[in-house]
Amino acid sequence: MNVLGVETSCDETSVSVVRDGNVVLANEVLSQIDIHKAYGGVVPEIASREHIKGITYVFDQAIKNANLNYEDIDLIAVTKGPGLIGSLLIGINAAKVISLNYNIPIIGVHHISGHIYANYIEQGMEFPLLALVVSGGHTELILMKEHFSFIKLGETQDDAVGEAYDKIARVLGLGYPGGPVVDRLAGSGVDNLNFPRPMIQSGDFNFSFSGLKSHVINTHHNMKQRNIAINIDDFCASFQEAVTDVLVEKTIQAKNKFKVKQVIVAGGVAANSGLRKKMKEKITDIPVFFPKMKFCTDNAAMIGAAGYFQYKKYGKADDLYINGYSRLDLE
Amino acid sequence: MKKSLKRLAIDTATKYIYLALLIDDKEVASIYQVGDNDHSVTILPLLEKLLDDAKITLKDIDEIIIGIGPGSYTGVRIGVTVGKMIGYLNNISVFQVSSLALIASSSKKNKILSLIDARRNNAFMAYFNQQKNTLEYIKNDTLENIESFQQNINEKYEIVEYGKPNIKKIIKSNLLVKVEDIHKLTPNYLRITEAERNLEK
Ligand SMILES: Nc1ncnc2c1ncn2[C@@H]1O[C@H](COP(=O)(O)OP(=O)(O)O)[C@@H](O)[C@H]1O
Ligand SMILES: [Mg+2]
Repeated sequence: MNVLGVETSCDETSVSVVRDGNVVLANEVLSQIDIHKAYGGVVPEIASREHIKGITYVFDQAIKNANLNYEDIDLIAVTKGPGLIGSLLIGINAAKVISLNYNIPIIGVHHISGHIYANYIEQGMEFPLLALVVSGGHTELILMKEHFSFIKLGETQDDAVGEAYDKIARVLGLGYPGGPVVDRLAGSGVDNLNFPRPMIQSGDFNFSFSGLKSHVINTHHNMKQRNIAINIDDFCASFQEAVTDVLVEKTIQAKNKFKVKQVIVAGGVAANSGLRKKMKEKITDIPVFFPKMKFCTDNAAMIGAAGYFQYKKYGKADDLYINGYSRLDLE
Repeated sequence: MKKSLKRLAIDTATKYIYLALLIDDKEVASIYQVGDNDHSVTILPLLEKLLDDAKITLKDIDEIIIGIGPGSYTGVRIGVTVGKMIGYLNNISVFQVSSLALIASSSKKNKILSLIDARRNNAFMAYFNQQKNTLEYIKNDTLENIESFQQNINEKYEIVEYGKPNIKKIIKSNLLVKVEDIHKLTPNYLRITEAERNLEK
């Protein structure tokens, strides 16, 4: 089954063709990151304008690179949320036109189910499994007992991990997006600032990162006021160690409680080298999978993979009334 | 028998959604209905119904006319996305037209000020002359203060904000602009974003 995946929830215009959930025939990504950098974050109106500018070109590249015609597509899977509403609606309406033009069934897919299924592309899935979803907007532990069934075990009570990374990077003057830079500098720093590990023994599977974020920012401020030399690398390392300690510890607790067969990590922060290393070091009894870097950040291949399993599970498509949602629950 | 020319017109730059089907210069079906911020939900079902009723499919369309704004209203992007995709998928001729010209085409007056509200006393506006059913620009699409735009006109005119476009008038006019590269088609925003303005400061 050839699935045409469409993802425009934030600042990437992406179209893919994925066969049977894991054979990626094409995955075109037109990223706007360089445009939004100047503003220190994604500007929604600019994102919408860029999506509409690039939309047909990205479709064209995807279908050509897959070496197919639109007639060869069996299903269209498009991100319906959560995300920036103006951005979502461009991908959704473009996808609907293809559905009407070629009479191809269409389904709306949850962005996070896409991030989770990014793992299926390379590793497949064995159930029950535990998914740690860490991105700019999400920090969640999800239990899957079968394909396309998501039980949320816990989530952040305030900031998402990626968001905390981006805010700290801004205070440290490291630009946008902050995650990759903080990650890189952490590699040459030392964890010597004793940052807290919030909620690490809370007994549930929830997280909180805004307190840690404020602590880091206040520490930076105080040191500056008192003219204490600041080693940015150590700041990054101390923050990254604190964050990854919490993420890994909670993942281990959930893994043991639900006796899962594998752990998968999904979302933009799955690109984090500290998290990758610590997960693999601390969890040795079952496999821990991370998607390839190109499937970590927003892309349409993951939407094509998720859409395939969503369609298989429910056996029916949506209709041309699909809407976009800035907020949307996964379960 | 000569094959008939089928044309589709789309505009979503105002709170009205407009779809029309023309066969050989005759409007055979059209929809002009007010939306509730839901153009993105209704446009494809409405388009499907329009085509079904006429017993044709999107693939039968030979030409498409797209209203490209101006407008700040998010809706303008819906129609342009849909029209752009139809043009691209079927490799057909695409024409863009100002949504203000579409609005003006609904009027029968000689002098027409076409207006789409842009808040804070500003509007997207254009000024048209109409003689014997022929519509032409006197002042091009602009975004400015409503009063100052009006002060520069010293004759009697009608202000038009809504109205079902007279598409036959439009296709006979010089107001249609051929889109040479479909991939480059975008709405006509007439101003950069607030973020870009702030960055320039
Ligand atoms: N190596 C990294 N380490 C930490 N965070 C990262 C890394 N790479 C990317 N990120 C973060 O991932 C987030 C973007 O991921 P993405 O999945 O696009 O988020 P969302 O879709 O929820 O906005 C950003 O907050 C970014 O800083
Ligand atoms: Mg994402």
